[in-house]
Amino acid sequence: MFEANIRKPLVTGGKTLTDVSNDICRPIENKPTKLWWLGFSISFLLLMVFVGTIGWTTWEGIGTWGVNKSVMWGWDITNFVFWVGIGHAGTLISAILLLFRQKWRMSINRSAEAMTIFAVICAAMFPLFHMGRVWLGYWPLPLPNAFGSLWVNFNSPLLWDVFAISTYFSVSLLFWYLGLIPDIATVRDRATSKARKFWYGFFAMGWNGSARNWHRYEVVALILAGVSTPLVLSVHTIVSMDFATSVIPGWHTTIFPPYFVAGAIFSGFGMVLTLLVIARSVLNLQDYITVEHLEAMTKVVMLTGSMVGLAYLTEFFIAFYSGVEYEQYAFRNRAFGPYWWAYWTMMSCNLLAPQVFWFKWARTTPWFIFIMSIIVNIGMWFERFVIIVTSLHRDYLPSSWVMYSATWVEVGIFLGTMGLFFTAFFLFSKFLPVVNMAEIKSILKSRE
Amino acid sequence: MTNSNQYWKGLEEIETSLSSTTNQGEFGDEGLPLDEVFSDSEGLSSNRRDFLKYFGFSVSAVALAACNKAPVKYAVPYVEKPENVTPGVPLYYATNCGIYNEGYPIVAKVREGRPIKLDGNDRSPLANGGLSAAGQASILSLYDVHRLPNPVINGEEQEDWAEVDKAVKAALNGAGSKGIRIVTRTVSSPLLQNAINRFKEAYPNTEHVVYDPISYSGILQANEQSFGKKVIPNYHFDKAEVVVSFGADFLGTWVSPTRFAADYAQLRRPTEEDPTMSRHYQIEGLMSMTGSNADYRYPMNDSKHGLLLANLYNKIGGSVSVPSMDLPANALEKIAADLKSAKGKSLVVSSSNDVNVQVMVNAINDILGNYGSTINVGSNLNISAYDEASFNSFASDAGKGNIAAAIMIGVNPVYHHSKGGALAEALKSVGTVISTSMTMDETTEGAAIVAPDDHWLESWDVKEPVSGHYIFSQPVISKVFNTRSVIHSLYAWAGDDLAGDQPVMDLAKAYVTGMGASWKQSIHDGFYSKPVATEPAAFAANVSAAASSIASGSSSDVELVLYQKVGVLDGTWSLNPWCHELPDPVTKVAYDNYVTVAKRDADEVFKLENGDFVKVTTPNGTIDRLPVLIQPGQARGTIGIALGFGRKVNEQESNDLVDLGKNAYPLTSESNGSTSYVVSSGVSLEKVGSGYTFAQTQTHWSIEGRDTIREATLGEYENNPKVRNEHAPHIVSLWNEHDYSKGHHWGMAIDLNACNGCGSCVVSCSIENNVPIVGRDEIRRRREMHWIRIDRYYSFNSGGEALTKEKAIDAKVDGGEYDHYENVSTMHVPVMCQHCDNAPCETVCPVLATTHSTEGLNQMTYNRCIGTKYCGNNCPYKVRRFNWFRYNLNSKYNYHFNSELGRMVLNPDVTVRSRGVMEKCSFCVQNIQMAKLKAKRENRKLSDGDVTTACQRSCPTDAIVFGDRNDQNSRIAKLFNNNRSYKMLEETDVKPSVVYMTKIRNKEMEQETTTSHS
Repeated sequence: MFEANIRKPLVTGGKTLTDVSNDICRPIENKPTKLWWLGFSISFLLLMVFVGTIGWTTWEGIGTWGVNKSVMWGWDITNFVFWVGIGHAGTLISAILLLFRQKWRMSINRSAEAMTIFAVICAAMFPLFHMGRVWLGYWPLPLPNAFGSLWVNFNSPLLWDVFAISTYFSVSLLFWYLGLIPDIATVRDRATSKARKFWYGFFAMGWNGSARNWHRYEVVALILAGVSTPLVLSVHTIVSMDFATSVIPGWHTTIFPPYFVAGAIFSGFGMVLTLLVIARSVLNLQDYITVEHLEAMTKVVMLTGSMVGLAYLTEFFIAFYSGVEYEQYAFRNRAFGPYWWAYWTMMSCNLLAPQVFWFKWARTTPWFIFIMSIIVNIGMWFERFVIIVTSLHRDYLPSSWVMYSATWVEVGIFLGTMGLFFTAFFLFSKFLPVVNMAEIKSILKSRE
Repeated sequence: MTNSNQYWKGLEEIETSLSSTTNQGEFGDEGLPLDEVFSDSEGLSSNRRDFLKYFGFSVSAVALAACNKAPVKYAVPYVEKPENVTPGVPLYYATNCGIYNEGYPIVAKVREGRPIKLDGNDRSPLANGGLSAAGQASILSLYDVHRLPNPVINGEEQEDWAEVDKAVKAALNGAGSKGIRIVTRTVSSPLLQNAINRFKEAYPNTEHVVYDPISYSGILQANEQSFGKKVIPNYHFDKAEVVVSFGADFLGTWVSPTRFAADYAQLRRPTEEDPTMSRHYQIEGLMSMTGSNADYRYPMNDSKHGLLLANLYNKIGGSVSVPSMDLPANALEKIAADLKSAKGKSLVVSSSNDVNVQVMVNAINDILGNYGSTINVGSNLNISAYDEASFNSFASDAGKGNIAAAIMIGVNPVYHHSKGGALAEALKSVGTVISTSMTMDETTEGAAIVAPDDHWLESWDVKEPVSGHYIFSQPVISKVFNTRSVIHSLYAWAGDDLAGDQPVMDLAKAYVTGMGASWKQSIHDGFYSKPVATEPAAFAANVSAAASSIASGSSSDVELVLYQKVGVLDGTWSLNPWCHELPDPVTKVAYDNYVTVAKRDADEVFKLENGDFVKVTTPNGTIDRLPVLIQPGQARGTIGIALGFGRKVNEQESNDLVDLGKNAYPLTSESNGSTSYVVSSGVSLEKVGSGYTFAQTQTHWSIEGRDTIREATLGEYENNPKVRNEHAPHIVSLWNEHDYSKGHHWGMAIDLNACNGCGSCVVSCSIENNVPIVGRDEIRRRREMHWIRIDRYYSFNSGGEALTKEKAIDAKVDGGEYDHYENVSTMHVPVMCQHCDNAPCETVCPVLATTHSTEGLNQMTYNRCIGTKYCGNNCPYKVRRFNWFRYNLNSKYNYHFNSELGRMVLNPDVTVRSRGVMEKCSFCVQNIQMAKLKAKRENRKLSDGDVTTACQRSCPTDAIVFGDRNDQNSRIAKLFNNNRSYKMLEETDVKPSVVYMTKIRNKEMEQETTTSHS
């Protein structure tokens, strides 16, 4: 096999094929560490907060939130867009980087895809539970029904959301699961207990590592990558249309689709970095998820951060250039109105902070990257908050202008989705291989 | 709730002679043609082969009949159907609105025996179809859970009225040498007067004392001095081309506001053919609703009004010696000139309750020749005959123990009187206090015997609000509780055993026929007028004496003005959530009681901020703790507190109406023999806390210079009828328009010139459409549910340009200049769903819960709504309202939706929305449907005026017009083409179905530059 010696190895530590299997399977086959238990307990506690606050909302009504007659969406849709955006990095890594044959993706794509799936689940909670009558949440599905000739409104961006998110979720899940099959088979083969053998065997779907198996695997992966690639662009485009197709100044903007996609990738990579910096140390995977990987991702963060920054500035310019007083006010209000702090948090976290990645030290120092990734996450949450709340709280008629602040229920739900996300992630890291063993073995430099 | 089945008792007792739509066949309920089939000559037994035919028919007929029935719980059919009563079809009865002591003609809408809506009686010259917000809200007092279900004797409920009569008679007969007193409001009912007279015959030691919560004795005494008649004259604002009001809130609370508003609006509508309108000057200390409608408004402390009036008197030709005084920019000169040029067609009024000031007002009106044209002393208003002196002697007699029995009829002086606390003590020395209050109030709590009066919607009565004009009250529901008309009670106590089921009806009938009127016609119309001879009034008061008394008065740096709020009024009926849920027309604060302070005083004198708590100290008493509201337009040196709050009843409950605000009546005092609502010296404020959040429905200060409201001067309008509307946006649409060429196309026009912001439409809409009451906390969270709101905007006249941008305002503040905070002009803009043709809400609903009708209505399907709230976000007018909670099952409240009794007021034609669905104005689609069915049944086309919306009907000034734009002759079609009409936010191309008509103020352009600096 061709080896480009000028490239640095993607996996360090002189790992052999056996080492890979041993290293990656270790967390699955051994008892969880104390660190794992700690993280899992905190996450699970937060998950219970989620159950409690969502239960309270469903029991009492949306009135338990801080939303009001003018700002009818607050933290709920902010969180929705935030979580959907996070998912994007996973798809980008697994699909687009696969098509571009970026081999460095191999050690991170599994966890990135898992993150996608968990993030989309978290995201889906918000449009579902922000409904006044969540028990009728299936009505936006175009199901044949006994209500008469009731059908859904194909003009509504919310309906597009339903399709976009559900497609995205199914394809991502398939893609992730497909990639898992060979690794699950590995775990099955190494299994010592009957239960383990049965369950991993069940999910391995009879994988036997034959050439035919591999051929089919590669073909399907390529097809799914092809299907997923437009999804990377389409999902957040459609989410952005929730706002872009409305009449509200600050929402009604044609720049939203590319701006949202860039923002989604930005925030997604931010979250991947957060997770991987933790995972590589907690699970001892520094040799697989190397500083090289982190550096590559920081470059993406810097690029997309600058793109959203450009979008922010463009919006401002267009508002000024349009001559529309409502637009102009909406943007002036963002920067200098009562929510100025949210706007400037967004600007500094998203546009300014990632510029430190021009420096090599910043790109290669894991603890610093971790801090930066948190900053990116905060910034992107605020971006959505700024777009949603500052546009709604002061739109056309000043008589209806209001202020909005979240209640403990909304905060609890958001923290709760964090709990849901990390609980799922901890379980994933315990029961499934977090790095794609099969693929990583193909890029090992050292051979026996 | 013990006797809930009483509500249905005896519908047949209600005479249904009336202006109603009735009868069968309304909804095509002809039934199944069984007779035809079965009367077939051959009959059922004719043919074996027909068996299956008949069998099949019968089965399907039964099935069809079964399908026809809606699942209604607890619906009990009439065993014998009362005449004219068809379930589902409303009956309308002309009657009287009892929250106005003098009477106000209304029409009550009754569904299945329940009155559910009150509107002004549009045939009566006193109502013009409108009804105030408080009047609208008053229907809930019928279904008030706090009404006394039975008479009470010494704290024990007593079901038998005979026992009550026995106890009362025992008390009265044991009076001996001590006196008996009957305390009533001003008696505007001849029947009550007769009853009192009869009572006095039976008990000669009886004295009749009149007590009213709000005193107009300044006017009464002034008219006695001026014309020898102690009356409140009738004012005719419809003839007044120049109105000068010194603090009188005649559109909101002063004397007879609803009719004044209707009359006033008649001269406030310039048209292209006749571009004239009246001119209205308002000089006031507080910012009243009336002031907000003035063409020229001058902030000026109330205590200086007397001096100003005297100076005005001198300027129009009188001569008294007083210190010279003028308004900023010599405006008094201009007022005088305007008044002089409109002699006999002008009107000067004042809110002052000081006899000298009112004498001065009379003198001015006399010089101007207004008596006989805009003021009529011959035909007086029976608003108030309250004389402080006679009530004071009652109070002192009571305290001395000289009174054996006091019968309190519809009065609550313990709450309303300035010395209410002392009075409560004094009443303890009265042998027996008998109250006829419907509910437990502050005075009734001290009563040994409570003989609850009927609610006015349950009783017969005759009222005479204006001399020679009678209003008839008839029951529109059988008695809800075991109550008895006070008229009946007085006769019973006088020893008359009135015969018949409805003795008071017989009395009313005898009275009406005695006047020579037709009983049936009178009850049908609800009113009767007979000509009143008006004698010319000869002015004979000593103006100089009044002037010198005025000149000797002093004023200090801080004065307190006690005023009434629209909705709450004097507080008698203020235990009604609708009165409080309605935001104040000017401050837009709901529920709260507060101290209004001028901006300059707050900044520089008292160092206060909005929401700070203050202690108000006056020579008459103190109020410990009230929040401060900084009010633009208020004169520096004036602070204001609303009356009508701080009721001390039902305190064991914990809803928003309990312990609401502070009672400010104890701060009033008596001077010159009349109650003074201005405390002009010794007032101080002390900050005792901070951080109060008002339940305010509008909080943003500025309109940001947006072109959503339009206003021009009369001169501009004369020159260019399209003024402010010249520049229609150039809009290109990508889509095909809706096709409305067939059928109806509904639209609404709102005349901003006629709208005075009174809020009657808000309450009316809430009642008609079962809009929930959400309470103070929810309003604080900005979740009021009103389908129609009235946006209030201030603008600042400064240097000829209207400064509306925050920047410009702030620039002025920096210079220490507060004039623009005081010289504000105000706009009231009612906003409801605009029923856009390109409705942004419709496209975004994922489940098509909000759709467009072929008639241009934006419809809301509650059942389909899943509550994504996207429609609400995407509404440029922010008129959509979301049910954040189950407002219809709010455990915090015991009224309206939340009690068996309160639910009786619900309109059965309108769904009560559940939690989690969006709602909004429907253009009263239930009325559209009703009118269409009626027209169809009568086999005719809908004509203009058949369909009315609740807001339109309640509007005293006829500011709202609704109709079919496709009907070229309709009012609405013409208004849509009127040059004054514009569409709000037209540039967004949502194509609203509501047009607003530019507000025209009768002021001159150059005036603005001169008024800006005082």
